[in-house]
Amino acid sequence: MTDPYSLTVNGTDHQVVDAWLGESLLYVLRERLGLPGSKAGCEQGECGSCSVIVDGSLECACLILAAAAVGCDITTVEGLQPGRGDFTTVQEAFIAEGAVQCGFCTPGLVVALTDLLARVPHPSDLEVREAISGNLCRCTGYGRILAAAQAAAKAASDE
Amino acid sequence: MSDIATTHATKGTIGENASRPDGGPKVRGEFAFSGDLWADGMLWGRTLRSPHPAARIIAIDIAAALRIPGVHAVVTAADLPASVNYGLEWRDQPVFATDVVRYVGEPVAAVAADHPEAARQACEAIDVQYEPQVPLLDPAEAAAAPPIHPDGNVFRQLTIRTGDPSARGPIVVEGAYEVGMQDQAFMGPEAGLAIPADDGGIDLIVSTQWLHNDRLQVAECLGLAPEKVRLSLGGVGGAFGAREDVSLQIHACLLAQRTARPIKIVYSREESFLGHVHRHPARIWMRHSAEADGRLVSFEARILLDGGAYRSSSYHVVANATCFSAGPYKVENALAEGIGVRTNNPPCGAMRGFGAVQVCFAHEAQMDKLAEACGVDPVEIRLRNALATGDRLLTGQVIEGTLPVARVIREAAALPLPPSPEIADPMTRPGGAGRTADAAHVRRGIGFAVGFKNLMYAEGYMDGSAARCRLSDGLATVTCAAAEVGQGFVTLAQQIARTVLGVEDVLLAPADTSIGSAGSSSASRQTWMSGGAVEKACQAVRAALLQHVADRHGIDPAQLTITDGRVTSTDARDSIDLAVADAAPGVVFEEEVEYHHRITHPLDDDGQGDAHVSLVCAAHRAVVDVDPDLGLIRVVQVATAQDVGRALNPLQVLGQIEGGIAQGLGLATMEELTLRNGRILNPSFTDYLIPTALDMPEVLATLVEEPEPGAPFGAKGVGEPPTISSTPAIVAALRAATGKALNRVPVRPQDIALGDGE
Amino acid sequence: MKEFGYERPAHPTDALAMIAGVAGARFLGGGTNLVDLMKLGVETPAVLIDVTALPYDFVTDDADGGLRVGSGTRNSDLAAHLAVRRRYPALAQAVLAGASGQLRNMATVGGNLLQRTRCPYFQDVTKPCNKRVPDSGCPARDGEHHNLAILGGSDLCIATNPSDMAVALAAFDAVVFVEEPAGPRAVPIADFYRLPADEPQRETTLEPGALITAVALPALPWAANSRYRKARERASYSFAIGSVAVALDVADGMVRDVRIALGAVAPIPWRAYRAEQSLRGQPATEVAFREAADAELEWAQPLRDNRYKVPLVRNLMVRTLIELVQAS
Repeated sequence: MTDPYSLTVNGTDHQVVDAWLGESLLYVLRERLGLPGSKAGCEQGECGSCSVIVDGSLECACLILAAAAVGCDITTVEGLQPGRGDFTTVQEAFIAEGAVQCGFCTPGLVVALTDLLARVPHPSDLEVREAISGNLCRCTGYGRILAAAQAAAKAASDE
Repeated sequence: MSDIATTHATKGTIGENASRPDGGPKVRGEFAFSGDLWADGMLWGRTLRSPHPAARIIAIDIAAALRIPGVHAVVTAADLPASVNYGLEWRDQPVFATDVVRYVGEPVAAVAADHPEAARQACEAIDVQYEPQVPLLDPAEAAAAPPIHPDGNVFRQLTIRTGDPSARGPIVVEGAYEVGMQDQAFMGPEAGLAIPADDGGIDLIVSTQWLHNDRLQVAECLGLAPEKVRLSLGGVGGAFGAREDVSLQIHACLLAQRTARPIKIVYSREESFLGHVHRHPARIWMRHSAEADGRLVSFEARILLDGGAYRSSSYHVVANATCFSAGPYKVENALAEGIGVRTNNPPCGAMRGFGAVQVCFAHEAQMDKLAEACGVDPVEIRLRNALATGDRLLTGQVIEGTLPVARVIREAAALPLPPSPEIADPMTRPGGAGRTADAAHVRRGIGFAVGFKNLMYAEGYMDGSAARCRLSDGLATVTCAAAEVGQGFVTLAQQIARTVLGVEDVLLAPADTSIGSAGSSSASRQTWMSGGAVEKACQAVRAALLQHVADRHGIDPAQLTITDGRVTSTDARDSIDLAVADAAPGVVFEEEVEYHHRITHPLDDDGQGDAHVSLVCAAHRAVVDVDPDLGLIRVVQVATAQDVGRALNPLQVLGQIEGGIAQGLGLATMEELTLRNGRILNPSFTDYLIPTALDMPEVLATLVEEPEPGAPFGAKGVGEPPTISSTPAIVAALRAATGKALNRVPVRPQDIALGDGE
Repeated sequence: MKEFGYERPAHPTDALAMIAGVAGARFLGGGTNLVDLMKLGVETPAVLIDVTALPYDFVTDDADGGLRVGSGTRNSDLAAHLAVRRRYPALAQAVLAGASGQLRNMATVGGNLLQRTRCPYFQDVTKPCNKRVPDSGCPARDGEHHNLAILGGSDLCIATNPSDMAVALAAFDAVVFVEEPAGPRAVPIADFYRLPADEPQRETTLEPGALITAVALPALPWAANSRYRKARERASYSFAIGSVAVALDVADGMVRDVRIALGAVAPIPWRAYRAEQSLRGQPATEVAFREAADAELEWAQPLRDNRYKVPLVRNLMVRTLIELVQAS
């Protein structure tokens, strides 16, 4: 067992006690902090379902040792803040454009596209494809997700 | 009247792009997938699996595992209180191996511990002494080899004989084809939570395609009455056939029973690849003969499917592969022989397309060869042979429903082509993010393919689905055990209830075993079967509501109708005009029904019979760019027209089409489980490649709506057709671009041009 | 995953002190490879010394006109750096061709240099592998080897180095700066990696406990005319089946100088010296490029299922050289 440590997730400090050092950030988020929104699709950095934002950088929580994330500012899908209403523009677009099927990849993609649109407000179709090529989806063939990305970019610029 | 209709039109009914009820929770990360579950005092379960494709088990020593701190139980076959075997259709698969193991990945023991790491260590500490045997790995040898299972090595041998198979037209084409082992590769690994109950029973929350079949198998193996095993659906992260068979269900329940603690099992990605069935690899030979104008005279096929170590759904995959082996084409004289065999390879079973995928790759390659031999355009030769209502299938069955084969061909062929590679964005050339190809070397190819299969189960299976509808003051609650695996049944259930009842507020009760079975979310059947059940239940409630209103007003209920959310009378003198919500204050209407489709029949010794409920078809045209010098492929566009009967939610249909094409593209160009000595060498998303957003082409889709008689709302299931003919269309395009034969999928870079090196 | 300890020093001297004499201690960078391999049981470090707090996240100009990249620089920062993109475009392209956005944000330059092979037998602890367990055997030669080495392998090992970045570094004659127990050392990349020979478990020439601090890209004005090309089995997010980094200095239709390195064909990033040699002073023509590629590849020893790499890499080289002539 490690000494207790503290993680800053979605603006809140969380104490982690009695953890095992081998636990990934993903495991601690899901199993210890009650934040299961980030998904464990492969736990090898290969599917992007666990995408979180660590100090402003989009990363795979499954390959980060939780104890190594001490002192970082971590944002998960649960921490995305809607400007108004219940959903962010990306979330709203996912629903409206039919980008959700089984939904397992959805939180990771929502986080990845939120990150993209923060850096590139009006991405081309190809930029979106590149940006999400680390997020695998098996249901949608990505078509509606790409549509949602453009719809979200447009909605954000209309606001 | 028209004002009322406009004002009160019920939103989210059939035909609209209604939003998913689970969409909000899913985008916010609040939707509870089965792997997200948690219970007080919960332990982690884990499975120990065989490293050998064939071995005797000499001894299993669990003592060291039990000594590991945090380990609460280790179970093996010896701990099973009742049946030791399970299986989707036939109980031939041991819950845990006893005397022998028959594939790499076969469960041998399971453990429960207070931390996943302790569970992992415990599995490592179990000492299993194996005596490896020579495995049976070549499916071609299986039928004649000594049996590797008491039930023998042949799951099914089906011969379909019609007309005079020795008849010959002047044009003959022949070919041998091979399909590699594809995986469903859903994103959410298998997961479940088993909770022991005070009554000695067990509650299991699990991601599955078929709650009731799982329940039956769990109950048999635990020696419990089925009603003591209560299953409810945990959030399902995709399925595509891989969750039809039981995976962790029995293991989790046994461990819960043993430890009297809740047990959570979540598979790793590697274990997921080992722990579910795959698409059957196939070796197929076909010979077609035709008149000079391309009209088919005779068809012969031999189909060999490797079912792996256990039966799963192999029996019916053989039937589908054989029944639909000629494709959606008229042919009077045929001999089609299908066989599915047992080997020491990983078990194979259901995957989207279910047998039709493998044969479609072959028959479409044959149709292109025929087109070339006859000097007829590939699209035209398909039109000349297209099946239609009133024609007979290979099985002799006369097509009574809709099957607009010619129309889907014409509609797909009519869709616009993409810009030529010279003027296309250079960033979109083959090689993807590597920007590897250059325009001068890119060759474009166009390919066309058509596929078909049946909807629902076949051969006399008594299929049904149960649903309950409750209506109270305008709020409808629908209960149905249909597994929502991502396909959007939950949306359709709401749309159907809104349409029938004229209310917008429709709650969906959790899917569980408190109601009768809905059958499996497979075979493109839930829109029809459970959609039908929901419609029937809602119709019964609607009738009860109208009866109630009629009684109160002393009129004939036949005069009442629900239009645009209001109960009105067809007789203007009654002046009844009530919102459904206000029509019967405080009264609860509740009806539970079972829905069945029409009866089908088994196939006879010649493979003849009225075995199928309904048929569905689609056509795909693929455009590819290939850089042969570098073996690089880019699928530029896939255009499709699909027979949907009626589109109940066009946006969801499009999602199924695009997703199905992605899986078809995967099989065409990258997806294969590589086996060596029965072992999967690439059980990870690094090494088993599925398409990324950069691999997906533009998709153009036309929905061909010819309502199916007898189907609820005329709608056909839409999930499978996109995976059936997209693969052969892409490979046909690759052949056109490269001139290579490409008789095997997936097509690898080295198959395109880089063959033998030098 | 085995039990292990974890340290996160802030100063290089502490890091070196922590690793000195501790059996099984390993430095941890972005974790994209090491953590994955720990999960698979391939790597079983006793102590992880997290080096991401060390002051190695920088890209600076060297006095000689070259560029110096700190070992802690994230791959995405390296690829996005203007000087890298302008002066060593093949390096930026190589980094961008690797992995996914998420992993490039995590992975460090130092860690990327030490990436382990994707050979399926190395990854699978139930199988023999001479690299993972010396003298246990190698099933790859007769087994699955479609993406394994055609150059530089030995009887004991035909694993390929999986890095894209290192291929570009090899072309640019990068120098790796390390701190070792005996003191600092500058290791030319040509001397950094070892061929497997009879010790496939030793992949680099680093001493145990060595800490990579930086990579220097020597001044090479014509490196601006460079290109990385990668062939793979899907459009992104997959390892190369063949890749090439080429820099070309051409004037009056003659090759003044050239650098060629190959990826996914050898246990190390493979510098194609023979091809380079045959090209210097030759006319910059397709014929000469083909001869150069052949001069390198005649040494290839392909196996049953990786023969395709020979024409693939030949075509990659020729294509890229032609493109760089056109760009000159």
